[in-house]
Amino acid sequence: MANQKVEKGKLTRRNFFKGSTLVMIGGAIAYGAASVPALRSEELLLRPPGALEEDLFLASCIKCGQCLQVCPPQIIMLAKIDQGFGLGTPYIVPREGACILCKGLPCVLACPTGSLNHDISEGSEAEMGLAVISKPETCLSIKGKDDLVYELENLRDSKQSMEPEKLSTILTRLINKLTSDELEQWKQKWQLEEISVQTISQVLAKLDKEHISWLVDFTTGTQQAAEACKICLETCPIKEENPIVFETRKDAQSGKEYVIPVVQKTCVGCGVCEMECPTPEPSITIVPRLKWKEETA
Amino acid sequence: MSKVQGTPVANLSAVQPSLAKSLRKRKGPGLRDVSIRENNAPNKWRFIRWGFLIFINFLFFASFYFDIQILEGSLSASRLLGFHMADPFASFQIMLASQLVKVNLVIGMVTVVIIYIILGGRFFCSWVCPYHLLAEFGEMLHKSLIKKKIIKKNHVFDRNIKYYFYAIFLILSLVTGYTAFEVINPVSMLSRLFVYGPGIILLWVVFLLAFEVLYSRRAWCRYFCPVGVSYNLIGWVSPFKIKWNINKCSNCKKCQRVCMVPFVLQETVNKGKAEYVVSGECTRCGLCIDACEDGALKYNIRYLDKLI
Repeated sequence: MANQKVEKGKLTRRNFFKGSTLVMIGGAIAYGAASVPALRSEELLLRPPGALEEDLFLASCIKCGQCLQVCPPQIIMLAKIDQGFGLGTPYIVPREGACILCKGLPCVLACPTGSLNHDISEGSEAEMGLAVISKPETCLSIKGKDDLVYELENLRDSKQSMEPEKLSTILTRLINKLTSDELEQWKQKWQLEEISVQTISQVLAKLDKEHISWLVDFTTGTQQAAEACKICLETCPIKEENPIVFETRKDAQSGKEYVIPVVQKTCVGCGVCEMECPTPEPSITIVPRLKWKEETA
Repeated sequence: MSKVQGTPVANLSAVQPSLAKSLRKRKGPGLRDVSIRENNAPNKWRFIRWGFLIFINFLFFASFYFDIQILEGSLSASRLLGFHMADPFASFQIMLASQLVKVNLVIGMVTVVIIYIILGGRFFCSWVCPYHLLAEFGEMLHKSLIKKKIIKKNHVFDRNIKYYFYAIFLILSLVTGYTAFEVINPVSMLSRLFVYGPGIILLWVVFLLAFEVLYSRRAWCRYFCPVGVSYNLIGWVSPFKIKWNINKCSNCKKCQRVCMVPFVLQETVNKGKAEYVVSGECTRCGLCIDACEDGALKYNIRYLDKLI
């Protein structure tokens, strides 16, 4: 009886041993085969510059995060499991922080696997995606509105307190665009000796809600306000050949003339325009991996 | 050896009863026949090891948060003072999945292989891997739960599963063109967590730890982890090993009780056939050295002592 019992115990243990091995092996194969279609994400993520074609990128990325470590503006993020296929692969959300195409592309140099292809060495060679005027109905350029006036009006009308940082960038941009006559006017208003970065903070210290209305009127009267918003082109890091050209078109129905930004072949899809677009929802957005065609324009 | 086994225990019991008792109990090849023990620091290597492990993982963290560029990246691929390093298993998967062989990756892989030939193969597991540290605490918890009879027994799997996994995930990489294992790899997952912040995938690590605590002791490291398999293979050829001194050993088997992969000590302590712990499964953790009160186990470089 005792012997039988031992044998029985041995048998079940051996069975468990063999069975569990088979279960584990089967599980691993099933997981591997099932994970590929199951984890594939519907939406493409915007990858850092130099990324290989998406399938090859996913196959070759070792998920070490070195691109993110060397990124000077710190805008690269690592995908989480709920973002589909590539857990730990790098991506960029341009509205939150766009790639500024640093000189020498440090992220590409840091990549140990060549997932970010070492064949490119300058931002202008990148093919991340393409900018698209996704919301022409809100685009200030099409509306013919100056972006500085738009932003100041928003500040005037909003009930929230002013963000000094945002205001400071607006003022800096405004001052850079003023003509010499307008600068004199500016100096007189704020009783300044000269115009510099320090004086902007002086102005900021004096500013309150009432002054904003004056600012709106002043800016509307400046020469630069005659031209509509061109911020997407102004902030674009590609300087050699303009990736955005403003074309004048005629509306087929009303016959009204309007200006529209048209994305050119030189756009690499870095996303700075999407980040800087002043409308609440960006009127210009990046479509990852999209290639430029004559028709898209 | 035969001399000791033939010691006339009966005569001895008249002179030195305690020694005779200890000798009678002994089963194994150790030659030491005094019960006087050398006083050892019981946790010396354990604390040195933990310190080293935390330091290495802190370097990853420091490179990102404080811009101290000593060790950048994470455990799947990194740069040590600018030199590429890449985990061999991850590199193999990538080469098979992408069917590209990039110079930097090969350099990184070879660097890691050379480093771990010097350091001793699965040295990676016990001295570097952050999951190992968590699993060590899990193992302690598991043992105490068994002692308190809260868990009935430890379930043992086939140790060869990890070799099957190694092959399966490499073949899957080639067939599917995707590195499927990297999604469930707790090592790189934890390493990324320290540097870049946590994600919901951490539940997988929690699940693995719970499985180890409640069902099967040290299951991931012992039976499944293919990352460790690369280092296991390197470990066989590495000369950095644990040396066993037969003349000092009194066969108390304390080393086997603390060992995380107890079977590696069989050839030495159990059978007396080898002077070194040769198996690549040995993680060079030093727990046996700490546990040995005879001072019979030491870190040593094989062949070097013969050269000198």
